Amino acid sequence: MSLWRLEWLRLVRTRRWIALVGVYVFFGLLGPVTARYLSEILSFAGGELQGATIEFPPPVPADGMAQYVSNVMQIGTLVTVVVAAGSVAFDALPEMGIFLRTRVPQVLRILIPRMVVTAVAVVVAFVLGSLAAWYETWALIGTLDARAVVAGVAYGSLFLVFVVALVAAVAGRAGSVLGTVMVSILILLVMPVIGIADAVGRWLPSYLAGALGALPSGAARPADYLGAASVTMAAIAGLTWLAVALARRREL
Amino acid sequence: MIRTTALTKRYGAGVAVDGVDLQVDEGSIYGLVGPNGAGKTTLLGLVSGLRRPTSGSLHVEARLEEIAVLPDTPKFDPWLTGREVVVLAQSLSQSKADRVDEVIHDAGIEHAAGRAVGGYSRGMLQRLGVACTVVGSPRLLLLDEPASALDPLGRREVLDLVARLRGVATVLFSSHILSDVQQVCDTVGVMDKGKMLFQGPLEGLLVGSALPRYVVRCRPPIEPVVAALAAEDWVQLVEQTSPDEASVTVRSLTDAESRLAGALAAAGARVISLGPEAVSLERAFLELTGQ
Repeated sequence: MSLWRLEWLRLVRTRRWIALVGVYVFFGLLGPVTARYLSEILSFAGGELQGATIEFPPPVPADGMAQYVSNVMQIGTLVTVVVAAGSVAFDALPEMGIFLRTRVPQVLRILIPRMVVTAVAVVVAFVLGSLAAWYETWALIGTLDARAVVAGVAYGSLFLVFVVALVAAVAGRAGSVLGTVMVSILILLVMPVIGIADAVGRWLPSYLAGALGALPSGAARPADYLGAASVTMAAIAGLTWLAVALARRREL
Repeated sequence: MIRTTALTKRYGAGVAVDGVDLQVDEGSIYGLVGPNGAGKTTLLGLVSGLRRPTSGSLHVEARLEEIAVLPDTPKFDPWLTGREVVVLAQSLSQSKADRVDEVIHDAGIEHAAGRAVGGYSRGMLQRLGVACTVVGSPRLLLLDEPASALDPLGRREVLDLVARLRGVATVLFSSHILSDVQQVCDTVGVMDKGKMLFQGPLEGLLVGSALPRYVVRCRPPIEPVVAALAAEDWVQLVEQTSPDEASVTVRSLTDAESRLAGALAAAGARVISLGPEAVSLERAFLELTGQ
């Protein structure tokens, strides 16, 4: 049994793949429905507030994808952090860390399968969710520009790979799964706050998270995300190096 | 195989390992004994490379891949079966020989090998840990309390397994169960408060450290005999252990051999038997650690 198969079994037997695919596909199906029937949903819930009536403009196809992205980049990212932390924090239980570290001298050999398998699973779940959202948007509201959707999915996937690398680096310092989840979420929450300044925000990995919502609406062009994509790829490499360096320094 | 010089590990102001000179010969079974907090686990961690020494030197004649470590409470991914854990350990080792079935059998977990590890008892986890440790045919085994969670039969099996490694691999194992060490080790190290108090052959500890003690059996009443012996300056201690038996600790073997019989005769003792008390590792250990 290789370390790659071990990670595959972790994903399957702990049913983490169900959590990932379930969350992304659920929001993929829910987003366009919410966008299409938002006014009806609000009227059922009591749309009149002190005599005032809230009216929404007719939904456009981009709304379906925007609704999906706004949901999935919060809950989906949270699930991604939890799943990734459960895998990359391999020293969380020192006795289990000892099993691996005394048999595999290079930390990179332990870490890479965990990061890659988790990242692939997250990206597959995100793509499936996006396809579900795309199909349902087409069925309920209208067609979307395919090139814009594909580019948005690619940028969103890159952001999720960054999240996995970030969790791995945090795990290298925090050690425990809970500590890794908490610190990772804190960093991911702070990043958009820093990005409020547009000059900075356009270069941050978190900028990619909104690409799938913005590109089909025409509010942005794929080229607008190239800067953030470059920074994100560099950050993924840097965070992977940091994760290995921190794990190597840790004593058990 | 292992040689350390003034090896020290500090955690803040505390010293876990304090200037230890450890020498473990290739092919030997070395027992590291000491009370809780003596520094045994930290020393094993230093030797395995899982911890870095604060000072001192450490030389291990084995690559990291040739060393197998068994923690005192082994843990594994609970969703793997016992067999899968051993297969994983085998595949990550340098050894190409398939010994999975053999070590599962030797560890006595054949009946549970197909079950998820999450349902294993602590004793079964320890057996599984032993199987994982030996499956790769390592040159050096570092075992931290390998039999602590096992029932007497399980302990016996694990100790037999360790004993069979003599000459095949080098074993350094820690234990607070002194009889385990006495059964399988040819060399023993006694640690307390981070320091190595004794290191050498087991016989050296049993003969060299403990004061000679004799067991005297007399016809009752034995109290006058005890009082007479206690008055001798070469007698360290006399304890009456039963109505007709006393334990006599003497300053030296020479004193006992030349004076004890005469002193008993002078005290009017009607001696039934007289002989040296076998020194147990427990007694030697307690005397060394001052407990």
